[in-house]
Amino acid sequence: MLFFSYFKDLVGREVTVELKNDLAIRGTLHSVDQYLNIKLENTRVVDQDKNPHMLSVRNCFIRGSVVRYVQLPPDGVDIELLHDATRREARGG
Amino acid sequence: MVIGLRQFMARVGTGAGEPVLDTDNGEELVHVQPSVSIALGNRSPDTPGTLYITTKQVVWLSDLDRAKGYAVGFLSLSLHAVSRDPEAYPSPCIYTQIETEADEDDSEDSDSECNDVLDLSKVTEMRLIPSDASQLDTLFQIFCECAELNPEPIEEGEEGGHNWVFSTDQLEDETGEGDDAECHFHQNPTNLIGHSNGDHDLARTVLELSHFCKNLQLQIHDQRFEDAEEMERVSDSSHHQHQ
Repeated sequence: MLFFSYFKDLVGREVTVELKNDLAIRGTLHSVDQYLNIKLENTRVVDQDKNPHMLSVRNCFIRGSVVRYVQLPPDGVDIELLHDATRREARGG
Repeated sequence: MVIGLRQFMARVGTGAGEPVLDTDNGEELVHVQPSVSIALGNRSPDTPGTLYITTKQVVWLSDLDRAKGYAVGFLSLSLHAVSRDPEAYPSPCIYTQIETEADEDDSEDSDSECNDVLDLSKVTEMRLIPSDASQLDTLFQIFCECAELNPEPIEEGEEGGHNWVFSTDQLEDETGEGDDAECHFHQNPTNLIGHSNGDHDLARTVLELSHFCKNLQLQIHDQRFEDAEEMERVSDSSHHQHQ
């Protein structure tokens, strides 16, 4: 549940979600659930030439299983904390 | 459920034409939205039709053609959104992206434009255009709720990461002497390997095999020691007896 908690803390921040099909969507993180499904608001597509169909949509729900990356604001990341937390979580601790 | 968009023709009775659901497995109808057009890929909208949202899938049935209907499971819906920007699409709609079996590079555009017979399994975009645009937010919300009901199925053994190997240290302790261990590794009974199912068991299989090697070596060492002692005792006692 580590990343669920982590993303909950980032609600309201600007993130860019890159999907496994290469689509990248930028928006405000509205909410996240335990499956890391992501809801974004005020979304816009990063590369409009590659994805003219989406352009600007209001609300967007992205299935957790299709997310490749979530790009975070630099000041939203504490790398040391993440390292320790992920090691502990992986070991079942 | 099949990945991607597919034809859906199973309607109840001859009248209202609601979709036949998999009620034995708990599928339920969540929402019905009449007067919805459907646009697949770049094609122009199919209309009129009725949208049925169930706990497992989204079904659109044509009001005019009883043989025409489409369905896609929530497991295959990568993304859904409310699209109101007229530059993106002339009518406000629910925009969805559909995951397909093999993700090819942008071949779906040419397929949907040139062919009369559309390969549904290659459709990656679907728009649902309700005649009542004020229903868009409600529809979006229902899509969210039903998507949440359909998380990725988890195979047993993956939860909690019990089968993860963290470092080669774990394996080194248990394989013991290099050469002997490798020899046994290759000759190990295939029944151990045959039991594993898929990649997530591989780490466990490796650990089990290394346990097996370790046990074999211990037995060999024990027997050697025993034999030597026995032989010494035997020769001593016989020597005594003869004297």
